[in-house]
Amino acid sequence: MRSVALRLINYETLKNGASETGTAATFPMTERLRPHLATLMGNGGFRALLARALVLASAEVSWLRKVIVNADGALEGLETPYAQLKPAEFRDGQVVLLAQLLRLLVAFIGPVMTLRLMGEIWPQLAADNVDFGNGDKK
Amino acid sequence: MRKSARKAKLAASKTAVPKAGLSKTTLLKKPAGNPAKVTIRKLSTGVPGLDDILGGGVPEFSLNVLAGAPGCGKTTLAHQIAFASATPKKPALYFTVLGEPVLKMMRYQQQFSFFDETKLGNAVRFINLSDVVLQKDLAAVLEEIIAQVTAANAGVVVLDSFRTLARKANSDVGEVEVQSFLHRLAQFLTSWQATTFLVGEYVEDEIRDNSLFTMVDGIIWLSQVTERNSVVRKLQVMKLRGQATVPGLHTIRITEEGLQAFSRTLGLMGDKLKPARRQRLSTGIPDLDTMLGGGILEGDSVLVAGPSGTGKSALATQFIAEGLRLGEPGIMAIFEERPQGYARRADSFGLTLKSAEQKGTLELLYLRPLDLSVDETMQAILDAIKRVDAKRLVIDSLVGFEMALAPGFRTDFRESLYRMIGALTGAGITILSTVEVEDNFISLQFSHYAISFLTDDIIRLRYVEIDGQLRKMMVVIKMRGGNHSKDIREYVITDKGVVVIHPRRTDYAEMSTGIPHRTGPRRAQENEAAPEPKASM
Repeated sequence: MRSVALRLINYETLKNGASETGTAATFPMTERLRPHLATLMGNGGFRALLARALVLASAEVSWLRKVIVNADGALEGLETPYAQLKPAEFRDGQVVLLAQLLRLLVAFIGPVMTLRLMGEIWPQLAADNVDFGNGDKK
Repeated sequence: MRKSARKAKLAASKTAVPKAGLSKTTLLKKPAGNPAKVTIRKLSTGVPGLDDILGGGVPEFSLNVLAGAPGCGKTTLAHQIAFASATPKKPALYFTVLGEPVLKMMRYQQQFSFFDETKLGNAVRFINLSDVVLQKDLAAVLEEIIAQVTAANAGVVVLDSFRTLARKANSDVGEVEVQSFLHRLAQFLTSWQATTFLVGEYVEDEIRDNSLFTMVDGIIWLSQVTERNSVVRKLQVMKLRGQATVPGLHTIRITEEGLQAFSRTLGLMGDKLKPARRQRLSTGIPDLDTMLGGGILEGDSVLVAGPSGTGKSALATQFIAEGLRLGEPGIMAIFEERPQGYARRADSFGLTLKSAEQKGTLELLYLRPLDLSVDETMQAILDAIKRVDAKRLVIDSLVGFEMALAPGFRTDFRESLYRMIGALTGAGITILSTVEVEDNFISLQFSHYAISFLTDDIIRLRYVEIDGQLRKMMVVIKMRGGNHSKDIREYVITDKGVVVIHPRRTDYAEMSTGIPHRTGPRRAQENEAAPEPKASM
């Protein structure tokens, strides 16, 4: 799932330029997903899902343990790690968290529906033959 | 043609013909001599059998309640309707409110075959209103619904669960505000030409006091009826403005296909009349055909009654096999025995059913699951009849059929059977049903169901004690369509199946009791040859 997450981040990087995706203390991908998923499952639903993804991702990327999901479903506590970590490490955290979020969606609603949901945000996804069902662990 | 006349004609044609690409529009019809009336078009629910119960479908632009206790299938029904009627141009908006988490709902609902993922996001859109409901007031909820419906140009709107929304609002602002909200919501959605479904967990007592039920155009009530250990799902159309629905409780079943409804009047409508000149169908037993006056009249319902082991199933198999031989496809609805056993016995009589099954001229329907309703059984049989274009049907046996029904349906078994047989024979199918009766050696019982009124012909099989043997006799008790032999004939079951032997016996009386006594002098004879070998002791 990491490769899919990486691809989505690349889409977003290409669209917005590196300034928004890699050089600020934010996770723009989760922000991009938030309104779409909140429409579907409500803010509370999105917040719960992201919090679970964060816990799972923290097991792989330790610095994510200091990050929290606030009441609006936005991530807080990114400034310090952003200042301390190398850009590649910070980006790795983004990839892992997004991968976990996608993995959760696949677990709940299956690869086809996850692909459709993601396709609404990134239409180029369908054309790229992305496989949400491959179950990669990385 | 003058310009004004041409204009008028053009205007008239525009009124009468729906616009291309719109499957549902409101038309004006003007029967000769009557003022124009609006034609209310109907949306198909996508639920097999339900459109007929609703009188054609859900009236377009109507406001409906899908009500019932939790677990009755309301959400599944709402999804099925949404997926059936939504198009990208007129999408279905499914608003969720403080109920089942959407991810879980989608997780489970996608298991149904009607859940078409390709429609998600374009034709079917899910919108969660929980945050607005929790954080704001009803005006904000209405505003959000209006904004979403307007933006999407929705044709179908579902609010699930409306009950939760109303309950929350009731506690915050009171009933009048909720009514006002509902009124404004209904007004907007109707004006917007959207057909709306409010899903809610209600109990029947609430109908009297809750003004929601007065305001809406339609109420579809789902329930689960428990009797002893069985549970049967039911659907009732309690209200539907503007069209004639089928009254009463109808059975529904939820399978991987979604909901399926079985009208309780299935088969009572659209009966074809039996042809005036009906041919006689051979039973595959020549002597029995003679006893029946040449065979069974096409479209008759024949009851073969007899105790266990008298060859009812064998006779039924011969009836079907003879039909297949003559090019008449058949259905065997089996309730007691597995199809393999049935086919094996047929093989032992030299009546291979397998090839007919492979050719598609025969279907063995094994209908043994418990908690069936007669309507479901009838639907299964009707579907099979359509598939193979059947002319002959065997129901083996009525006792097994009754056992397969949920206890709640057993009390209505006779009535249901009447409906089913009437429907099938009305469609020109010749039915042979078997029923097990116990011989009591005092009287000749036909069936413990007292169902002879719904059969045209009755063939009774029974054991008779003669010369220290229990032999088998058959007699045609009744034939509605003509004369028949009154002879009591002995028969045996050989490797050819049921074979009638001997002309009628005149040397015995009270044969029908099963313990006849010799009336005339015993004929001089050696030991009478037994028709079947006696067991050696």
